Amino acid sequence: MGLTRWLAGVIVVAVLAALPLGLDAYSLRIATGVCMWAGLACAWNIVGGYAGYISFGHSAFFGIGAYATALLMQRGMDWPFFATLPVGLVVAAGVAAVIGAPTMRLRGSYFAIATWAFAEMLLQLVNVLDVTGGPGGLSVPPYLNEHFFYYLMLAAAVIAYLAVWVLVERSRFGFRLRALRDHEPAAEALGIRTTLVKVQAFALSAGIAAVFGGIYAYWVTFIDPMSVMGGEITDQMVVMVLLGGLGTVWGPALGASLLWLTNRMVWSALGDTAIYLPILGVIIVAVVLFLPNGLVSLLPGLGQLRRRGHRLLTGMVRKL
Amino acid sequence: MSTVTDTRTHTDEPPALAVAGLRRRFAGIVAVDGVTFDVDRAEVLGLIGPNGSGKSTLFNLIAGALTPDGGTVRLGGQAVTGWPAWRVARAGLGRTFQIPSLFGNMSVHDNLLAASCEGDWRGAPERARQALALLEIDHVAGNLASELSGGQQKLVEFARVYMRSPRVVLLDEVTAGVHPNIRAIILNAVRAMQLDGATFLLIEHDMELVREVCDRIIVMDFGQVVAEGSFEEIAGNAEVRRAYLGRSE
Repeated sequence: MGLTRWLAGVIVVAVLAALPLGLDAYSLRIATGVCMWAGLACAWNIVGGYAGYISFGHSAFFGIGAYATALLMQRGMDWPFFATLPVGLVVAAGVAAVIGAPTMRLRGSYFAIATWAFAEMLLQLVNVLDVTGGPGGLSVPPYLNEHFFYYLMLAAAVIAYLAVWVLVERSRFGFRLRALRDHEPAAEALGIRTTLVKVQAFALSAGIAAVFGGIYAYWVTFIDPMSVMGGEITDQMVVMVLLGGLGTVWGPALGASLLWLTNRMVWSALGDTAIYLPILGVIIVAVVLFLPNGLVSLLPGLGQLRRRGHRLLTGMVRKL
Repeated sequence: MSTVTDTRTHTDEPPALAVAGLRRRFAGIVAVDGVTFDVDRAEVLGLIGPNGSGKSTLFNLIAGALTPDGGTVRLGGQAVTGWPAWRVARAGLGRTFQIPSLFGNMSVHDNLLAASCEGDWRGAPERARQALALLEIDHVAGNLASELSGGQQKLVEFARVYMRSPRVVLLDEVTAGVHPNIRAIILNAVRAMQLDGATFLLIEHDMELVREVCDRIIVMDFGQVVAEGSFEEIAGNAEVRRAYLGRSE
């Protein structure tokens, strides 16, 4: 990364760190949500964008993280919050590895269907188990400090993006991932063990999503199956990545910012109505038609990205 | 199946590639039927035959992209039969595909670096510079692979093979449909790698190229090896004429 990009990154983080100084409590909550969705979109992008495998099961990993934190912080367990995050991460990554080992041998839409089925199965399981509180959900000991959660979400998001940049953009692992996305038989002919790499990517992606799930549970102080495992959580991640730029480092952050701010504005102006969904639909159509490479391609110096975006998007659609 | 004659001088060194009794059937069709041949170190063996004779299936069986129903494949004496493609590649096999199979969303330079993911990663940038120079594609190093012409894509695919310095290379119609200049660059690269000890098995329909570069030729028809020998021997072989022309003269 050039000095200019480093400088730009430092300035962006500094501005984000100073943001709470100029925001009221409600706006700060929205900003915290932006950080969370940016992190989740980043997680989904590892599998969907870099590996080219469309997962519709990521809400399950977010939910695993949320339930891990909520359960371990229940009276009697009394785990400190920060100790619960690695547990959620490891459990989600482990589950992803177990699920991914057979399903990531599947091609095209079969993988998408398998992950969707897995997420639905887990949702139903959490709904009927006593230990998770069933549909009644679980309360988490409250810690009412919006600044704390904003900075925690921001730190987690920055770490997630740096991890993706280091691990996926310039490392061997990233080359393996992008190679198998573009041509799996050719990647194997170069000695790349594609199934293993895909499972590693899936586990990494799941682990990151779980960390945000854990922070979310502590932030909102109450979770139930639909609020942390509902299918629309994955849908949001997918749309955010498409909007921002599939298979790019910073695209998911741009997509998450725009979409979550739109979401909150619609809710704020019109109340809890279903009108957000048609708006979401219009955004998806507009992206496919006019901005197939995502918002990130509008940034200067990314001409190559502009040219490859359409292929990535059509490649993804073909796989479905 | 006709009797084939192996006229090479044998040494104690195991063949770089040894295929014995390789078989593969798709439903009722026998695509590869008991194919047997050896390729010595630094030898260029041409594999010719009419369309549908089983050449590409044979490549896929050797490279691990398909699992054989029977027979064995050995690389430098090591049995690799039934191994997955990634493992065969790590054992020292490189290949190109009939249709160039580049990583289209990556630059040419990144395509070459990707070839070193499982090898000398630290030395990859220097090796990439060598590959770009050898295949004369320095000027497109920063271009997206998918934006290249068909001929340039063939060069990049060959450069990707060169990056890994494999002991045995399978080339599937690597000069088909390319400009004569590109054909010359590829032939030059084949010879450079051959001098370094690489062994080649190449499928080719360009008989002039086969005559020019191959030390020996085997001919396939209906999944079997029907003839083997030098270009001159093959050109005069009645079985080969029958396979290509459908009659014996």
